[in-house]
Amino acid sequence: MTTPAASRSPRLLVKVLCFAFAVIGCVIVAVFVLFSWQTNARLTRAVVENMESSQLRFAGIDARLRREHTLQAMALAENPTLKAAVDTYYSERANEHELGQLRSTVETELAKLQAIMAVPALSVTDVRGVVLASAGPNRGDWPAGARVQLRVEENGAPVETVVLRNGHPYRATAVPLVLGRDVVGEFFLASPLDDAYAVNVASEARADIAILLDGRVIASSTPPSQRRALEGVALPLSGTIVLGQDEFVVQRLSSVDSASVYALASVATAARTATSETGWVLLLAGAGALLMAVGGSWWVARTVARPIDRLSNSLATMAKARDFDRPLQPTGGSRELDTLTATFNELRTAVSLAEAESEAAYLGVIGALATALDARDPYTAGHSQRVADLSVAIGRQMQLSDPDLETLRLGALLHDIGKIGVSDAVLRKPTKLTAEEFEQIKLHPTLGARILKPLRFLDAQLAIVELHHERPDGRGYPYGLKGDAIPLFARIVHVADAFDAMTSARAYRGALPVATAAGELWRLIGIDFDAQVVQAMAALPIALTDPSPNDDAAAADRPSSRALVQFPTRPAAHTAQHAHLALRRAE
Amino acid sequence: MDSLRVCAGIALSLAVLCTSGRPNVIARESATGSLTGRVHVVAHPARRLATAGAYPGRIVGIQGERETSELDNVVVFVSSAMQVDSTPQRVSIRQTNEEFIPHVVAVTAGSTVEFPNDDLIFHNVFSLSRAATFDLGRYPRNESKARTFTKPGVIKVFCHLHSHMSAIVRVFPHPFFAVPDREGRFTIPTVPAGRLEVAAWHERAGEVTHQATIESGSATELTFSLPLTDPE
Repeated sequence: MTTPAASRSPRLLVKVLCFAFAVIGCVIVAVFVLFSWQTNARLTRAVVENMESSQLRFAGIDARLRREHTLQAMALAENPTLKAAVDTYYSERANEHELGQLRSTVETELAKLQAIMAVPALSVTDVRGVVLASAGPNRGDWPAGARVQLRVEENGAPVETVVLRNGHPYRATAVPLVLGRDVVGEFFLASPLDDAYAVNVASEARADIAILLDGRVIASSTPPSQRRALEGVALPLSGTIVLGQDEFVVQRLSSVDSASVYALASVATAARTATSETGWVLLLAGAGALLMAVGGSWWVARTVARPIDRLSNSLATMAKARDFDRPLQPTGGSRELDTLTATFNELRTAVSLAEAESEAAYLGVIGALATALDARDPYTAGHSQRVADLSVAIGRQMQLSDPDLETLRLGALLHDIGKIGVSDAVLRKPTKLTAEEFEQIKLHPTLGARILKPLRFLDAQLAIVELHHERPDGRGYPYGLKGDAIPLFARIVHVADAFDAMTSARAYRGALPVATAAGELWRLIGIDFDAQVVQAMAALPIALTDPSPNDDAAAADRPSSRALVQFPTRPAAHTAQHAHLALRRAE
Repeated sequence: MDSLRVCAGIALSLAVLCTSGRPNVIARESATGSLTGRVHVVAHPARRLATAGAYPGRIVGIQGERETSELDNVVVFVSSAMQVDSTPQRVSIRQTNEEFIPHVVAVTAGSTVEFPNDDLIFHNVFSLSRAATFDLGRYPRNESKARTFTKPGVIKVFCHLHSHMSAIVRVFPHPFFAVPDREGRFTIPTVPAGRLEVAAWHERAGEVTHQATIESGSATELTFSLPLTDPE
């Protein structure tokens, strides 16, 4: 297991969030686009319908106005003075230069009528179509003597017509002046077809108006650019056209001669109006949907990511603590995660087993090493194993836990591993060691610790190996720790080590009897040995071997004969009795 | 319209005897002949209106349409300048059913025209013509007003109350004129012999003038065709 490195990949939460958000965002955008498109299509329809109704409305108004105009014109055309004057004028046309009075009679009558009608131009022609007189602000376009084409219906009904005067188009109602059964002249009520007229009509039709004469725009309520664009466009009776980039709905409102009045409505303008109305609603709805999308995505992301987070957190904790003994708990988040957990647990078990095996193998090797080390010196053969046994016995007496006992056993087994670095000459020297040689001996705890340090699973044993020669009075080595500063395990091993050394033969002395050794332990409590440990040891039943007196070094190899000897519970008087002792764990 | 069209007749009876028994100022001065002939009126549809269609409201109360002919509105006369005094006449233009009947009268200068009102309604008689500008005012049924025309010319007479009413009084400085009959025939007896201009006139057709040489004691025949088309 390696510590999880800070990954640069995005967090799952963020990823899920982004994904969900993107999807919902796309949906919203799609809806928006669809909506806009739909709106446009619908608006076009609405504009067309509006235009049609506008056309109907306009047609109604137009028909009424036309009827009114016609009736007014017919009534005016019955003016007897006008008729008499026109007829007389015609019959006396040969003396035209003498007709001033007749002409002014007509003019006066027309001026009176114009004052009532407020028509831009009133004009009367004789039967030849020659203008006799005109009235109204636009009379300049209808000067006396000018010719106007007569528009007479056979039944004498008024005629709607478009007349070009001085290049200005006029919409005129032409009524024949009838005398008896004859037409004696014609009466024109004319309004110019100019932009003012178009604007006026536009306000009635509630749409832009363009008036075309022979395909040429003669007046319009639209801006000049649109007006220019309209030139040369074949306008349908009703339908849509494209001017520039804008779509227009077109409807012909009325038609007189070659002049047509068209209503125009821009779809885009209508769309802008409608969109600006619904825009806020749409925006709010969109924002709401996005907010919900964020919330939903957050929830989904959390639901998905949380168990994974929990799992990875417990894995991280486990890796940090190097604690692989407990199995991972299933998160319950999803079957996949549970399967992952289970698989990991199996893996963990397998790895633990493998680790335990390799540990055991390691320990075997180390134990063998220790044994081999002991065997370098015939006097210390089996020493490590015996110290281990005795230490465990003391530890058990002191009611240590099983894992502690195991730690103690291994530590005791390896406590003299550092002696591998002490030369045979010093180690096996039968005579008393010089101070220099003793210094060399004193290096072995430190050396042992250095050897075992790389083996991390022996961390707990390091202190035992390093400190098993420390003494409560502080005169031990290598550090001279005092009393409780020395770990308990090291104190236990120190006592066991000393006891085994005393009860084992050496090249320069025989083995001390158990009682003697015990006496020494008791005697040196607080000085060399820890009181607790010595008392615990005193409570032990000890398996005692009784080798023959004066045993030589070789005798240490022999299996000892077994006998149970009670370790003295009290400091006893010194006995000179020599005995070979071997401690075995009491079963 | 077709009913108004008078078909052209070519054959005319040559023997139109003019009686010289009636008083005539010319007869006293010099030799005279007579002038006879026919007038054809060709109506032009565009210039004609069916009155009933144009203003139906204005003829309510009129019992049937009086049978008329455009020939009634034609006057044939000697258009050469001459001044021949004659006895003043007294003729009537009646106002009947909102119409001046007859529509056209021809009189000699100094003659008087009466305008009796036969209708239940008021009428008015006025004229803007140079030859005689007058206004006889409004007057009711059974009243009559008269006007003496001394100046030759064409006098258009109207009614201020009924704009569709009109009449024409032609005043001549001589008595050599006639109104054709329903067949278009006319006769002007005792016309001074010599080369003369003779015209047929209709208010819309204007004048159609022919040269004629009147021979003493004999009848000169002329045929006029008056197209009621736009004269211009």
